[in-house]
Formats: sequence, structure tokens, C-alpha cells
Amino acid sequence: MATETALGASSGTTKSETGFRHWSALRNAAILLALWEVLGRFKLVAGGALPAPTEVLIRLWSDRGDYPLHILATFQGASLGFLIGNGLAILAGILFAVSPVAARLGRGLNVAIFALPPIAISPILVLTFSGMTPRVVLAALGCYFVTMSATVTGISQTDKRMLDVVRAYGGGRLALLCLVEIRSALPAILAGLRVAAPAAVLGSILAEFGGGGRFGLGAYLIGSLGRADPARLWGIGLAATAMALIAYGIFALIEARLTRSTRAVTVAATPPGIRSEGSLVSTIAITLASITLPFIVWWLLLKVLGTPAMIAKTPAGVFDYLFLAPSATSAQTRLLAALGQTLPMTLIGMAAGLAFAFALALASVVRPGIVRSFMPVALVTQTMPLVALTPLLVLLLGRGPSLILWITISVTFFPAFVTLAQGLGMVSRGALDVVRAYGASPFTELRLVSIPASLPYLFAAMRLAVPRALLGVMIAEWLATGTGLGNLLNQSRGYLDYGMIWTVAVVSVLISVLFYQIVIVIERHVLQKRGMQPAA
Amino acid sequence: MHLSLNRRHFMGLMGAAATVPMMGRSASAATPFNFQASWINDAEFAGYFLAADKGYYKEAGLELEYLSGGPDVIPESSIIAGKADLTLTTPDTTIKAIVEQGAPFKIIGAQYQKNPIGIVSLAKNPIKQPKDLIGKTLAVPPVNVISVEAMLKISGIDRAQVNIVPYAYDPTPLIKGEIDASVDFTTNVPFTIKQAGEEATSFLLYDFGFTIFNDTVVVTEEVLKAKRKEIVAFLKASRKGWEENLADPAAFPKTFADTWFKGTGRSIENEVYFNTAQKPLIENANGIFSMSEEAIAANIEALAAVGITAKREYFDTTVLEEV
Repeated sequence: MATETALGASSGTTKSETGFRHWSALRNAAILLALWEVLGRFKLVAGGALPAPTEVLIRLWSDRGDYPLHILATFQGASLGFLIGNGLAILAGILFAVSPVAARLGRGLNVAIFALPPIAISPILVLTFSGMTPRVVLAALGCYFVTMSATVTGISQTDKRMLDVVRAYGGGRLALLCLVEIRSALPAILAGLRVAAPAAVLGSILAEFGGGGRFGLGAYLIGSLGRADPARLWGIGLAATAMALIAYGIFALIEARLTRSTRAVTVAATPPGIRSEGSLVSTIAITLASITLPFIVWWLLLKVLGTPAMIAKTPAGVFDYLFLAPSATSAQTRLLAALGQTLPMTLIGMAAGLAFAFALALASVVRPGIVRSFMPVALVTQTMPLVALTPLLVLLLGRGPSLILWITISVTFFPAFVTLAQGLGMVSRGALDVVRAYGASPFTELRLVSIPASLPYLFAAMRLAVPRALLGVMIAEWLATGTGLGNLLNQSRGYLDYGMIWTVAVVSVLISVLFYQIVIVIERHVLQKRGMQPAA
Repeated sequence: MHLSLNRRHFMGLMGAAATVPMMGRSASAATPFNFQASWINDAEFAGYFLAADKGYYKEAGLELEYLSGGPDVIPESSIIAGKADLTLTTPDTTIKAIVEQGAPFKIIGAQYQKNPIGIVSLAKNPIKQPKDLIGKTLAVPPVNVISVEAMLKISGIDRAQVNIVPYAYDPTPLIKGEIDASVDFTTNVPFTIKQAGEEATSFLLYDFGFTIFNDTVVVTEEVLKAKRKEIVAFLKASRKGWEENLADPAAFPKTFADTWFKGTGRSIENEVYFNTAQKPLIENANGIFSMSEEAIAANIEALAAVGITAKREYFDTTVLEEV
């Protein structure tokens, strides 16, 4: 009861106000659509490369016979991947939250999985597996990290006082987990699933590009690319978006219902305890094992699957290609030249994507209506396959740095935004009530309470953004600019240069892991000063 | 590592269940044979579709598994990985892999005697020969980079004089004038451009010195030894399908509309255009897939221009002699 009263009082909105907000969000969306219609109808954008919404709908209707089989195939791949990926992610998240040693051992593997560039591993998956499996694997990989880290975040941010209550009554580790931690982690897990849903759809579609299967929205898109029919491509993008939107909506709804009953009414007075790291020797041993684990898994997988050595390069194979083989010098030169083009853009793109996500998350607190009407657009950018937008993007932005930047922002901001918005939403009501009681404006509230309190989430968002920024830059290079690592990867496929395909994949993972570690170091420093726990 | 959710296998089972009562009639059990195509299902593979529909592979004792291709499918990889027994490739990448990585490939036939790949541009901004490309922007798919570099070299053009950008198989940037030309199948794209209200002009890389085949029939040495009989049977049935299809290029594409072409998002008129345009590039006095000594020599010479030293032994003409 107390929680509900607090919620009703603090949200401070009456029925009519809520109605007005919904109405204004609808109105904004309608204005947006009307504007788009005019731009499309009169061919005002890129000489007609942007189709009007009605043109897209008409095309969608005339193509309606094609869709059911494709949607079904994508749904199968995405949903199976979603179930497997998230199931593993939640189990792993619980394991990592409960056992700090396991968390430190698994970190290398976790980061490596998250940093795997889908465009590099999709052809490899297609070679190694058959049928639906590449789609399921890519969809599952797209879900894993987000949900795993959300689970860890949720559990580690549990109100310590609730744990004390269970402990005082003699509850063991399992009781703590079942009665308190998993329950309090539910909102975070659901937020993770919400982000994972579009990721699963995109993962499946991406594998369909490379899979050579006949059905699936990705396969349909490939067949339609050569037709120079933007309305068809947008129609396929809309279908993908609708799929993701429904999944996103379901989890958002469940989350909204559950989050209400798990918010603390008061602030914990004691800071959470700092984990002891054990002796220096064991720390070094665990760190080394954590670094070695991904390489062992990589090597073992190839051995178990028995993929021929010409296609499947083991860690030793990549080392040989890059340092020992006669072509090593040429490979190094090409790799370094590509890195010189890709790395600066990655840093700029990451900063821009995070800044946008942060601004959007703040806006969602101050002006929720505007953000609500922007959300459909944001979701489209997540599920609309970029290859379908390439002609429009190159016509609007050319094939230079600005195109790379836009694609990188669009790939980066969404998970960062969801994490940040969730952090801002989880801010203790009691702390907010204090500043409100003194008549603080929404901005003062943000500055004094919300932003400092959600710092762990800001760092979690940064960690999410690191590998995605690199992926965004590589996609842009692959589709449009023909520079850097993305192009090197693409060209290596054309040359059957398997050594380079693996090298690019490995190097991009290593770069992501390096950036990730840098963020971790800064995070530890900042949060320890404030007596906070890192999120995940 | 197989998941049960494999539509093709599931459908195969359903098909097998339906044919159980018929099994007694067929004398010998068919041998499974996996064929990896180099692109999505379009007219480029009409001959194989026809042969499959008319039961020519079954008659030859083969249970054909047809694997569609696509932009990211590297056909050669499928035969190395053992997923397919036989595939169709771009000869320049295949030969480069043999030379540089010792890949165990044999080229045993060629679907296209003349490579259909060419430079496509708009008639209002025409690019009629390689030297027109100087100072222009050309979009090239990754698998064709070697071909384009060879054509430029043969024509005496410095690669740096042409602005090469990636091509994502969507002609919109060409139609809107963002790029000046693209590298694509000349048997296909001009149709799309016409549909979009523009007139296209094109030339084949083949006609400017890059005299290579395309969709070369490639197997690994291992499979050639182990499955020679099946390979011969496949080529024989495929040749029959192609001959029948090319006899009237307008006749068969529509019969694939609800099967092979279902859901590709392409129109039947487009496939008929493609099928008609490819006829002179495929037809061969010695029988479809044949590779004459002169043509092989021309391939070797063209590839030498980009420093790929192909040898006669990479081509094996003895398989087709048995067809």
C-alpha cells in the first residue's frame, strides 16, 4: 500500500493530464507522418529516394502475398535465438552475480561475445552450420550480453536492507537469491529483454543475408535490392520494425507493471560493501584465465565442429597469417592502414552516440511526451536493415565521414538510451521527494539527484556503446565509403582471404575489449569515490 | 549441431513420406548430391530449375539438394566445408585461391562462355568504354574487385584515376546520379533501370580484354575422385535442362513463379529479360559448359594481367568428355 501511495503522490499527474500527454504524442506523430508524406510525394528528399508513407503502404499491400513465409522464417530464427540467448544470459547473469570468481573468469568471454562483429562472423556461421542454425546463433548472440549484464546489474543493485532481513531470519544463499535478488532484478532483466527483442530480429535478418536461405525478411530484402524500389525496401523494414515493436511492447508492458511494486520508498543509509579482491596471486591467475578462456573456446569450437583449416583459422592460424607467413608483411600493412581510418571515426562516433543517448534520456524525464513520439522513429533505426537505407543515406550524406557518423550514432544510441533511461527511472523516490519538497525544478532535480544517482547506469551505457560504435563504423565502411576495416573485411571475402577475415574479426574484438577495459578503470575510480557499485 | 527447425529437411521428410508408395517402382536409390548456387534464385539458374522440375536429376540417379546463394555466400567456401559437392564460381577468385592458398579446386566446366559482368551506366551519362571511367565514380561489389582491376590494367588505366566505391546491389544511386556507373550483370540491371524510367547503356568487361568465363563449375579434387560418376550425371542433366530452357527463353520462367522464384521479390518479366539476354553468353557449339582450349588460354592470359598466374592444369576438360 505504502508503495502505491508514494507512486500516486510523486508522479503527480491526474487522469486528464495523462490523457493530454497521450494526445500530444499522437499529434506529434501525426505531424511527423504528414511531413514525411509531403517530402516523399513531392520527391523533395534525395530526388525521390525517400518514399512517402502511403507509397510504402500501397507497395506493402500489393506485395502482401510474399510476406507471410518471410515473416514466419524470420520469426522462427529470431524467437528461437531470443529464447536460447536470453535463457543462457539470465543463468549466466545469476551465476556471475552470485560468484565473483565466476564473473571475473567469464569476463573475457562475455566481452568477446559482445564485441564479435556480426558482419564478420555471419559468413563464418553460415559455413559452419546449416539451415536455421546461423540465424538462431546470431540472434542469440545479439541478445546475450545485454540481458546478461542487465541481470547482473539488477542483482547487484539489490537493496542491501532486504538482504539483511532475510539473513536475519536465517536465509541462506539460495533464499537470498529467490526471495530478494531475482525479484529485485526483474525490472532490469525485463529492460534487458526489451533491448534484446529488436536485437534478435536484426540478428536473424543479418544471418539471412549471408545464409543463402530462400525465406526470411533478410532474404527478401536481398532479392529486392536490385529492383531500385525504395518503397518495397521500406515495406520490408516496416515489417521487421513491426515484429520488433510487438516484442518490445510486450516486455515494456510487463516491465511497467512490475517496476511499480519493487521501488524502494526510502534511501538505504549504508553504502554497499566493496568486494574484496583476494590475494594478488589469485587475482593475476584469474585475470590470465579470463583472457585465455575466449581463445580456448574459439579453438575448441573449431576442433569440435571440424571445419577445414583453410576456412577456419585457429588462434595459431591467425598468428601465423599475421606474423609468420610470407604474406604477413602485406597483411600487416593493409591492416594498419585500415585501422588508421577506422579508429578515429570509432572514438568520435562513440562520443556522439553517447551524447545523443544521454540527451534523449534526460529529455525523457523532463519532456516525456516528445520522447514518446520520437520512440517509433528510434525503433525504426534499430530494426530497419541499414543496407536498405544505404541508397538514401549516400544520396543525402555522400560517402564521407558524416555518413559514418550518422550510421554510428544510429547503431550506438539505442541500448545506451534504454540503460540510461532505466537508471534515471530507478532513482529513489525518497531522494527525489526531498528536492521536490524544496520546490526544485525538473532540471535541478536531474542535476542534484537523478544524474548522480544513475552514474552506474551511465558507465554501463558507455560499456554497451564501445563495441557497437566500432560495428557502426565498420557497417558504414562496408556499405558506402569503401574505407577502413569494414572495407578490408568485405574485400577479403571477395579475395577468399580467410586469414584476413579472421584477423579483422579478432582485431575488432581486441579493440572493443581494450576500450571496454579503459571504461572499467575510469568507472571503478569514479564510483569508488562515491561509494557506489558498478552496474553489472 | 543440426537443429530440428530446418524447413528444407522438414519439407524433404514430408516429400519422402508422400512418395513412399512409389518407392517400389524406382529401381535404384538416388545418390544425394549437393549443389551450391552462386546467387539468389533468378534466371541465372533457370537451366537447373528446369532439370530439377522435369526430373532429369532423378533420372540420372541423383537426389539433388539445391542451395541458394546470395551476396555474402562465398560459393568456394561451401565446397571446402563439404556442405556442397559442386558449385558455380567467379573464376578469378577461384584461381587466385588455388595460386595463393593452394586451394584444392578443379574447374570442370563453364556456364557462361562470356562473363555477363559489365559496366552499366545511364544513356544520358554514358560510359561506353573503359577510358570513359577516368575521373568517374564506379560502384563495385566486393567479389568483382579483381575483375575490375584487371579490366582497368588491360585498358592501361591507373586504378587511382577511378573512384571505386562499394556496390550494395541496389541501382538507386546510379539512377539518381550519385554514382556514374556500377559493375553488375548486364543481363539483369538494364531491365530495372528501364522500369525506373531511365535508359541504360552497358559494355562487357569481356569485350575489353578481360576474357574470362563466369559461373565456372568447380569441385574439390577429393570430390572429383570420389563422386566422378555423380558429377558427370549432374552435368548431363543440367545441360539437358539448359538446352531446353534456352530453346525458348520466354517459356519457362513463369513455370517457376510459385516454386523456385516464390518470394524473391522479382518479377517474371525481369526473369524473361534476363533469360533472353544470357542466351548468347551461355550457348556453345560444343555443348553447354564446354571449355575450348582457346577459351582457357584466353582466361589464363587475362588473369596474367593482374598478376594471377593461372595454369592449364587448373582446368579439367576430361569430365565433360564423359557427358
